[in-house]
Amino acid sequence: MSVLGMPTGMFLVFVATLVAGSLGAAHFVIVHVLMGKPVDETIREEPPTATDGGHDDV
Amino acid sequence: MSEPGALGLGPVVLQAGIDSDVNPAYLAIFVVYLLLVLAIGAWAYLKTNDVEDFWVYGKRLGPWLATWSYVANFVSAVSVIGYIGSVYGGGYSIVTGIVFGLMLGVSGLYFVVHKVRELNHVTFPDIIAELTGYEIARPITGTVLLANAWVYLIMQLVGAGLLVTVITGVPYEYMIWVIGGVFILYTVLGGLVSVAWTDLVQGTLMVATVAVALGYMALDLGGIASINQQFAAIEPANVAPLGEGAYTVLGVVASIVAFFGTIFTSQATIVRINATDSIRTAKIHLAAGGAILSVFYVMLVTLGAGTTVALNGAGLAVENVDRAFPVLITEYVPTTIGTVIIVAILSGILSTTDTRLHACGVTTARDIYDYFADGEPSDERLMNVSRISTVVFGLAATAAAVDPPGTIIGLYNWRAILLTSALLIPVYVTLYRRDTAGKAVLLSIVLGAVFGPGWEALGTPLGVPAAFMGVGMAVVGLAVGHAAWRGDEGTPTAATASDD
Repeated sequence: MSVLGMPTGMFLVFVATLVAGSLGAAHFVIVHVLMGKPVDETIREEPPTATDGGHDDV
Repeated sequence: MSEPGALGLGPVVLQAGIDSDVNPAYLAIFVVYLLLVLAIGAWAYLKTNDVEDFWVYGKRLGPWLATWSYVANFVSAVSVIGYIGSVYGGGYSIVTGIVFGLMLGVSGLYFVVHKVRELNHVTFPDIIAELTGYEIARPITGTVLLANAWVYLIMQLVGAGLLVTVITGVPYEYMIWVIGGVFILYTVLGGLVSVAWTDLVQGTLMVATVAVALGYMALDLGGIASINQQFAAIEPANVAPLGEGAYTVLGVVASIVAFFGTIFTSQATIVRINATDSIRTAKIHLAAGGAILSVFYVMLVTLGAGTTVALNGAGLAVENVDRAFPVLITEYVPTTIGTVIIVAILSGILSTTDTRLHACGVTTARDIYDYFADGEPSDERLMNVSRISTVVFGLAATAAAVDPPGTIIGLYNWRAILLTSALLIPVYVTLYRRDTAGKAVLLSIVLGAVFGPGWEALGTPLGVPAAFMGVGMAVVGLAVGHAAWRGDEGTPTAATASDD
């Protein structure tokens, strides 16, 4: 059995590749566009400028 | 991983030189193209006011620019020459072995990108330094990333020089310096502002023209189904998911892991994420980019099948798979279509070249120079170091590309193993488990960086793929290190601040 001139197994690999690449787009459209859930925009203002050697000084 | 259609560059370069016969029409197109990107570079220079503009576009990258810049950067010399050559030599198994893993990686990154963007850093080592609490993480990670970016740069320059040489007829040893010089110049001038805007032009052109080229081949060869039937008639293994023995299941899984991981661990990707104006844009550019790229790659490998069928049918079969696509352009298709395809190829290759050049400059200045410099370097000094290192690494890569150190696919595979082994597990586990001991993260990075590429260099003893060995050692290093050092360290200050 063949689809588009190639065996079904190979065709499914192509389909899986298209699906794999589109998972993010599908999620964004469903969750953030259709369901209207806003994206959480928690970006801190200034990242820390120095590290602490792995210790908690707070 | 099996090497699908390994590309012997030496003979190709030699042959390209022998075949040299300057084509004025193609050469003129190439010159106009170079002038266009130089003009964008000069404009971007005027728009670049400080080091943040140069590195991350002032963190003002919107959805359109971010998406097309990502797409253009993604499609490299490997895609346009290596993939079509690989389909010519090994059939569609490359989709199973490489493309699927890459596409899964783009979507996977979409789901965790907020964790990266919310930290509001610039580079990958910035993030790792914060997660571990150790500044030494910057040069350690920076070295891994620089090795990747530089090897990638060589691949791009080799691919670009090779292809443009075959098409225009200008000898490779001259063309490689012309291409290297132009791209170094405009990247140095405008940093990410240059890179993003040229990528927007190049990415759009590339996807559109590959669609046009595939449309022409489909019409010429009787449709997509007909191409596939003729492709299978040449060799049944061409349409087998594992190439009827070319790949093993274990090899495919290792390859998927390696290429999946590179999406998460590329400095250029992280810098672009941090250049976006919001988490929403960061998500959109990966969501849209993944969808566009998956369609693009399906079109590209189908074009590879069309190339195979066309060349075999016309008695133009080539011994070296690298020659397949250039021969299609110069010997098979009409000049008009050939011109369209050339635009696509140049766009694909050169847009990746500038991004890697930019990544070399940012990594050297921010992650390595800044660590070793006495005191706090000024922004102006960091931007100068970025520019100088872009020139130095660019020239060194161009010199290396004159006599390339390996095959394109071989280099592509090597840096995928390096990146994924060193960075995937320690960084992304720690993003979600912020109490992971910093020393354990560093140990994991070092073990992954040594054992992944090292195992590959040893010829993958015991039949264990290098990606498995590298990632496995990274997991062991993280687990053992965390158990050993958990009591020695508290939660890093920065991580606590972020969590607050």
